[in-house]
Amino acid sequence: MADQRSLLQRLWDLGCSLKLAIYVASAATALIMGGSLAMHYNRRVFGNMDAATITVWFADAWQKAPHLTWWLPLTAVCLAIFGLNTFCCLCDWLLHLKARWRKTGEYLIHTGFLLLLIGYAWGNVAGFRNDPFRLAPGETLTLPALPAYTLRLDDFNPTFSPEGRPLDMVSEVTLLRGGSEVARGTVRINQPLLHDGLVIIATSLDQRLAGFRCFIDGAGMVDLFPGRSVRLPDGSTLGVMTLLPDARRTADGRVLPAGDRLGNPAMQLLLHHPDGRTWQGWYFLRETPPAALATAGAVPQPMEPLAGYASLLTVNRDPGAGLALAGGIAMTLGVLFALFSFYRKRARGDRPQL
Amino acid sequence: MPDKSLFYLLFTLYALAVSGYAANAVLRREWLTRAGLGLVAAGILLHTGLLAQRWLTAGYLPVTNLFATLFFFSWALALTFLYFELRYRLGASGLFVMGLNLLLLGSALPRDPRVPPLIPALDTPLFELHIIFSFTGYAMFAMAFALGVLYLAQARLASGALPELSLLRRCNEEAIFLGFGLFTLCMVAGSIWAHIAWGYWFSWNVKAVWSFLVWLFYAGMCHAKFVRRWQGGVYAWLSIAGFGVVLFTYLGIGLLLESNHPLE
Ligand code: HEM
Repeated sequence: MADQRSLLQRLWDLGCSLKLAIYVASAATALIMGGSLAMHYNRRVFGNMDAATITVWFADAWQKAPHLTWWLPLTAVCLAIFGLNTFCCLCDWLLHLKARWRKTGEYLIHTGFLLLLIGYAWGNVAGFRNDPFRLAPGETLTLPALPAYTLRLDDFNPTFSPEGRPLDMVSEVTLLRGGSEVARGTVRINQPLLHDGLVIIATSLDQRLAGFRCFIDGAGMVDLFPGRSVRLPDGSTLGVMTLLPDARRTADGRVLPAGDRLGNPAMQLLLHHPDGRTWQGWYFLRETPPAALATAGAVPQPMEPLAGYASLLTVNRDPGAGLALAGGIAMTLGVLFALFSFYRKRARGDRPQL
Repeated sequence: MPDKSLFYLLFTLYALAVSGYAANAVLRREWLTRAGLGLVAAGILLHTGLLAQRWLTAGYLPVTNLFATLFFFSWALALTFLYFELRYRLGASGLFVMGLNLLLLGSALPRDPRVPPLIPALDTPLFELHIIFSFTGYAMFAMAFALGVLYLAQARLASGALPELSLLRRCNEEAIFLGFGLFTLCMVAGSIWAHIAWGYWFSWNVKAVWSFLVWLFYAGMCHAKFVRRWQGGVYAWLSIAGFGVVLFTYLGIGLLLESNHPLE
């Protein structure tokens, strides 16, 4: 029993040891220094490190180049030991709080560091990152990694400098969960929408086909784009439901998108006759119009494409970010407290020795 | 190129101060250190005025290119020196610290001082905080470097013209501690900014990785002072090595390696 106690005691002493902290921190430093050179000279392997969480990225990179990436798990082990070490130190301090309360600032820094480590690990294990999604106003996206959530782009207004450089990309977005709205806001440079660990970022923009300026007999020149409907002289209305810049027809007659660039454009149209009859169908703009449109005298003849912008939005999830922020706040407060006590201590003239 | 005469005047003031400290090292005249301090104070006034004028005309803290960061770094180092000088009367340390400052300012001067337009990604107070804390932290590390060199020199020379070893050691520890605190705030502001700009708060780009190393190194140094065998000499060497890491992070990565950090 006595032996067991002393083993525990020894383990605890090791956990609280500053020497251990210095060894593992130095090892982590050396590994990261070497690793950063590997990173610099092997962009092919390391260039996309930020595009995925470190766990997802590593699983792939390790397969491709184990000789270049072995330092990462070792660094993680060092940092984990360092974290445990910090935790033991913190507990040791808490156990002696009465005598050491003046060190609150220092230990807030230690607590903050621990929270950062845990937040980083948690965020990278339980979170995800995506390449940007391309959304045009009115479009919705079901998050592939979290299908309960849908993101809708309500409006998109990029602003440009006189030389044409994008200055900002202002997206009005709504986040829905199970169909009901859970968050809504403006996403622009340095202003994400945050909800439940999700971070929605304005990443870039893309020009896209918004619609067509068409000539319709009797109605004249009209701009047709999804959501728009026009009244025709005979009292019927023609509405645009979908626009595909490049579409193809399958053998069983279904129409599917074939690409984002202007190729074989097609519109899905809805024609309401005054007598209540309706027709719905696809109109391939480069082909003979559907008979239903021709007989109703409602054939839109495309004159020119109308350009619009799509927003490229990045949707990441980092459930550890809140913890990391708490760590950052603890460290900031810790620094302020520690500075205060440092100068008090100096003023009293005592020198702590270990 | 715009008129740079005021920048050269500033350089001259600091150069005269360094000459005063150098002359004092040989002639041991107290008034020379006082003259040095006066010149540094005058330089800081001009430096502050120039910085404020550039900030006001640009509408943002101009720290987005190498001229501007060197200029800001030099200002922060001069202020740091003034603080230590007024508080501890380190006298001869001016030769080392302000000598280093001349190098910083001297390498800024041949560059174009014009303030470039602010790119939208940098248009946030988090960026300004990140930079202010980063360079004030660097200035403390530069101060610690100079004090480390001075400590090693004094340990060899035991000169009456240099401050006592115990004072140099205390000041070095204080500079490291203040630098660590400021750099912590820099990292916190930078991480929050990264989170809202990119959707992740730690980036694996070389500059961010080395900034973490700088931070870890100086956190280690906050502890190294408790290791009795390291107090003094080893600590001075560590301060010198640490500044090497700082210089590599600040300049080396941009010049030797190519980084995709927003400021490179
Ligand atoms: C991992 C194990 C760690 C151990 C064993 C440890 C231990 C200690 C000890 C014993 C002190 C002295 C407190 C006193 O004066 O009574 C201290 C102070 C301090 N520690 Fe740590 N620490 C660790 C990690 C860290 C980390 C990761 C950081 C920063 C991120 C940190 C930052 C500080 C600071 C700023 C001080 C104050 C120094 C001063 O008073 O000048 N420590 N630590």
